[in-house]
Amino acid sequence: MIEVNHVTKTYGKKGSSFKALDDISFGIPSGASVAIIGKSGSGKSTLMHAMSGLDRPEKGEVIIDGVDILKLRNKAVDKFRSEKIGFIFQSFFVQANETCYDNVALPLEITNVSPRTRKKRIESALETVELGDKIRQKAGNLSGGQKQRLAIARAIVNKPSIIFADEPTGNLDSTTGEKVEELLFNLNKKGGSTLIIVTHDSDLAAKCDIQIYIKDGDIEKIVGDGAAKTPTKKKGGRL
Amino acid sequence: MKTIDITRRAARSLRNAKARTILTSLAIAVGAFTITVSLAAGEGAREYADKLIGSNINPQALFIVKDKTVFDGSARQAPLRVYDANTGNNQGFTLKQMTQADIDTLSQRDDIAYVIPTYSPDVQFFTFSGNDTKFVSSVSTYDPSILSEVSSGSLPGLNEQIGDTDAIVPGVFVETLIDNKVIKNESDLIGKTITMTVVKAAQTPSADDIAKALAAGGQAAVQSLVSSETKEFTFTVRGVTRKSATALQTSTALQISAQAAREISEYTTKGTPQYQKYFAATAVVADGHDPAVVKDDLAKIEFYAQTAKDLQGVVFTVVNTLQGIVLGFGIIALIASVFGIINTQYISVLERTREIGLMKALGMRGSSVSRLFQFEAAWIGFLGGIIGSAIAVIAGTAMNPWITEKLSLGEGNAILIFQPVPIALMVIALIVIAMLAGWFPARKAAKLDPIEALRTE
Repeated sequence: MIEVNHVTKTYGKKGSSFKALDDISFGIPSGASVAIIGKSGSGKSTLMHAMSGLDRPEKGEVIIDGVDILKLRNKAVDKFRSEKIGFIFQSFFVQANETCYDNVALPLEITNVSPRTRKKRIESALETVELGDKIRQKAGNLSGGQKQRLAIARAIVNKPSIIFADEPTGNLDSTTGEKVEELLFNLNKKGGSTLIIVTHDSDLAAKCDIQIYIKDGDIEKIVGDGAAKTPTKKKGGRL
Repeated sequence: MKTIDITRRAARSLRNAKARTILTSLAIAVGAFTITVSLAAGEGAREYADKLIGSNINPQALFIVKDKTVFDGSARQAPLRVYDANTGNNQGFTLKQMTQADIDTLSQRDDIAYVIPTYSPDVQFFTFSGNDTKFVSSVSTYDPSILSEVSSGSLPGLNEQIGDTDAIVPGVFVETLIDNKVIKNESDLIGKTITMTVVKAAQTPSADDIAKALAAGGQAAVQSLVSSETKEFTFTVRGVTRKSATALQTSTALQISAQAAREISEYTTKGTPQYQKYFAATAVVADGHDPAVVKDDLAKIEFYAQTAKDLQGVVFTVVNTLQGIVLGFGIIALIASVFGIINTQYISVLERTREIGLMKALGMRGSSVSRLFQFEAAWIGFLGGIIGSAIAVIAGTAMNPWITEKLSLGEGNAILIFQPVPIALMVIALIVIAMLAGWFPARKAAKLDPIEALRTE
């Protein structure tokens, strides 16, 4: 269960300040697939950063598994991210000059997983994304779709409870994009991890259980199977 | 994140930027090379000096004088000194000399095996048997505490005197002797008789002496009283010394036994103030006594001594100074390379902003990121140290025979001696220095905001 309560994030100083997130609240049940939809500059990325503990909004709470991650110290937030969160980015961010194995090993090294377990987990993660045969290949030699699958292997190797995917198919053609989508939804359904996709692609968003529309730092609407609670009423009376 | 994982990641990053890594470590290698060479040269010079002193001077030997200024170098700076009946002139400056009583005092000590004063036998000329040519050279006392090498004939062992009629001829005489047809080759010298003619200075007799002589022997006796007196001493050549590679200096003096030297010098100085006065004495400390302790004891009774170790100390001071200068250049090269590391690592941080952002997003601690970059710097330092010292060792080992020949150090001596421990310590020091240099870029990497870093496209 992820609860976002009254999160506000302001950029800039007084006078020229700009509210990227304006008192946002919603909830996501564990294991759901969620799309955060909005145009560029709508604040959807900022929301993802706040929910994953990368950013610190000045107001509000992000409660994940009963813990408000915004109240944690830096060290605990880093630990939380390394153990519970997986990231997938639009431009993959795989290390081109390292092997697939070493790319996937990074999260395990960060969480001090023993070398023996490491090897098994990396192999199984690469099998999952159908890159088992590329284990010793340099990531730079892979195609775009393979790179994104490698990034997915890196995101799931630590068995996180939440996977954040920021425009996961934005840099891919429709065929390879579909394969990546399929992979992500399969992991969500079979692996039981919560999938949060940040996108402006309404087709991709439609495949998710819940769609949260963001506009100008505010929630425009939440569409879903009813599992999400409706946005709480704000002081201003706006929805 | 575990240190081993960070170290491996750091090594991989460097492998991925080979040219940059090698160029940066070459800068350090220059410093490492210079330092390795200076360490090796210092060690080589010290060992060589040790060998020289060890093979030339008995470690138990003491060089004793009565005048403290001999050792502190102030002798020349004292133009006016208080008169002392025992002062004498040595090598152009006035010194307080030793008397026979002083020598006896030293001889009687339990901690001294024997004492040989520095006699100065004054020989007018000498001839070799079978030839009338008269030669002159300095004549000195054979020092049994210094072992020389002979090219012909033989010498007694260390601490043993030669016989009273034995003479040792320095090898440098041979050429002149052949030119003057005294001998045909060096080996002819052995067994030759040397006849030394010694002149006793004429004295000014008192009126009483003249009266006595006149009464005893008439005019002739008076004549002989005021004329100079001569006496001949004969010696047999026992050996010819040669300049050995490890000899401290080539002896150019004809050497005779202490007893013979004493007879000659006492004959020539009898009746003069210089009779039984000595500039210095060589003593050998008895077994089981420490020369340094004896030296201190002697200082209490106003004898000033120098041990073999002191001499070594003087040589070492020179070596250490020279080594320090070369070392200084190495350190300057290192300081320059430190800026190279800082620059390289800053560029590396800029280039890898996204990678750093990703690592931080995945929950890597800032301290781990910082260590990653510091370890990269450490690898550069390690590489530089290894490259520099390896080149120094290889080039030095290859050059050693040539240097030895050029400086005529003698077979088996090397001026560059590479020791593993100082080199290892230097490499460790370089790693530490490189890590310190890597600290600034590493801190920049650690402070990067992952959101900003990931936004960089």
